[in-house]
Amino acid sequence: MGRFMDGWVLPTLDDTNREFFTSGRIILRECADCQTIQHPPEDVCHSCGGTSFAGRGATGTGTLYSYTVVRHPLHPVLAERVPYTIAVVSLDDYPSVRVTGNLLEVAPEDVRVGLAVRAVWEEVPDADGGEMIRLLQWTPA
Amino acid sequence: MQRSSAVVGVGESQFYRRGGSPDTEFQLACTAIRRAVEDAGLDLSDVDGIVSYMDTRNNPVRLAAALGLPRLEFTAQTFGGGGNGAASAVLIADAAVTAGYARNVVVFRALAQGQFGRFGQARVGAGAGVSGSAAYTAPYGLLSAAHINAVQTTRFMHEYGVTQDSLFEVAFTSYDNAQRNPRALRNGTPLTREDYDESRWIAEPFHLFDCCPENDGAAAIVVSSPEQARDLRKGGVPILAGAQGLEHRGGVDAFNEAPFPTAHFRHVAESLWARAGVGPQDVPVAQFYENFTGPVLMAITEMGFSPPEELDQWVTGGALRWPHGGLPINTSGGNLGEAYIHGFGLVTEAVRQIRGESTSQVGEPELSLMVAGPGYAPGSAVLFCKD
Repeated sequence: MGRFMDGWVLPTLDDTNREFFTSGRIILRECADCQTIQHPPEDVCHSCGGTSFAGRGATGTGTLYSYTVVRHPLHPVLAERVPYTIAVVSLDDYPSVRVTGNLLEVAPEDVRVGLAVRAVWEEVPDADGGEMIRLLQWTPA
Repeated sequence: MQRSSAVVGVGESQFYRRGGSPDTEFQLACTAIRRAVEDAGLDLSDVDGIVSYMDTRNNPVRLAAALGLPRLEFTAQTFGGGGNGAASAVLIADAAVTAGYARNVVVFRALAQGQFGRFGQARVGAGAGVSGSAAYTAPYGLLSAAHINAVQTTRFMHEYGVTQDSLFEVAFTSYDNAQRNPRALRNGTPLTREDYDESRWIAEPFHLFDCCPENDGAAAIVVSSPEQARDLRKGGVPILAGAQGLEHRGGVDAFNEAPFPTAHFRHVAESLWARAGVGPQDVPVAQFYENFTGPVLMAITEMGFSPPEELDQWVTGGALRWPHGGLPINTSGGNLGEAYIHGFGLVTEAVRQIRGESTSQVGEPELSLMVAGPGYAPGSAVLFCKD
C-alpha cells in the first residue's frame, strides 16, 4: 500500500497554516501578547483577544490520547486505505494541545490509548505543485 | 420557560428509508406541519411563526406560501450544532410565544437524504485541497460524524471503563422500543446481540448498529400560549425549562475543545436543572438523540443521570430499557429505530409521553426530557411537564 496521502486530499496552504504544513516540524501558533498556544490556529487569541502570533516548535513526541480505526471507507480512494487509524496525540511538551494524524506501523488490534508516539513527515507537492507539503504522521516512539 | 408556553400539537409525515419517499422534502415538511396543526385542533391560518434548525432547506418563506399562512410574524433558526439544535429550536419558539412575537409557532425538521447530499458521506474529492480546521483532519481520512464521535467515544470509554456492552444497550433499547411503534422503520426487525456483534465495523468502537440510519421524513410541533392551549382539544404540554450553550472553547475543532471528550451538555445540564427547579432524579423518561451510541452515553452522564464511573454498570444492568429500567429512553425507537429526522421525532415523542400517547408509555410522567444531538456544540435540551 502506498502512502495515505497519495491521490487523496491535502491541506490548502494559507498564511495561518503554512508553517505547520510545510516546515517538517510541529510549529504551533503562540499569541505574541499572552504567549498562549492555540491549536488549530484562529485569527484571534482565545485567551486575550490578541491578533499577532509567532511560531513555537514542539519536540514531536507525544502520547496517543484517543483514536479510531476506520474500517468502512467513505470515499473510493479510501477503499484501498482501510483499515486505517486516525490518531489524536497529546504532545509531551504541550500536553493540552492535541494534534491529529494517522498512526502508521501499528496493527489496528494493537492500537491503545496511552501509546508513546513520535512524529514523522511525509512529503508531497501541494495541489498546485508550487510548494512542498510535509504532512505530520505518527509512529510508535 | 416555567410554563409560559406549551406544545399543543405534534405531527409526522410517513417515514421512509433513504431515497424511499415519493414526496419531495418540502412536501414532507408541509405534511408534518399540517398534521401537527390538525392534531392541535388549530387551523393553518392560526400559524404565525416558523422555526427550524440545522440550516433547513425548507425556507419559511416558501412554507408560509405553500401552507397559505395569512400572516407570518416570526421566523428563526439556531446556529451550528447540527442535530444539537433540535431542542434549542423548541426554545426559540418558547421565547417567541412568551415574548408575544407570535401566537402559534411551528417547529419542524424535514429531510430526504435520497434527494440531497448524504450527511454520512464524504464531501471531499480526491486531489482537492481542504481549508480551515478540516485541513487538520480530512487529509488523514477523518471525514464524517462517525469518525469524530468514534474518537470522542474511545477516550470516554478509556477514562471511565465504559464497555461495548453499554453501547449495545443504547442500540438495543431503540430497536426494542421500535417494535411497539407502528410508525417505526425498524418495527419488525428487532436487534439481537448476535446481529450487533456480527455487524461490520464502521469506525471502532462503532459497529453498523451503533450508527444512525439515513431516512426521509419530517416531524413538527406547534407551540402556543398556555391560555390558547387550554381551549384546544388536547390541551398543552408546557415547556418547563430548556437550555443551550457551551463552555469557553467548548466547540473548538480538531479535538481541541475544552474539555475533551464532551457531548456538550455539562453547561446545558447546569442551566436546565437550575431553571427547572428539579433534577435528573425527578425525570422518569427521556429521549436522547442517537447519532451514535457512544455519545448518548456521554450525554446521559453529563445530564447527571449517572456518574461516569458508575455508568457502565448502571446501563448494562438494564437502566435504559422499557418498562422497568430506571430511565427508559428513546421510547418511540428514536433516531435508530423509528426514523432519523435529526432528532425531531424525539421531540414529538417527549410530548407524547406527557400526553400518555407513547407506544412505550412510562406511567403518567410529570416530566419528560429531550436531549439533542451529542458531540456537537452548542448542546441543547428541553424539559416538558404536565399541565
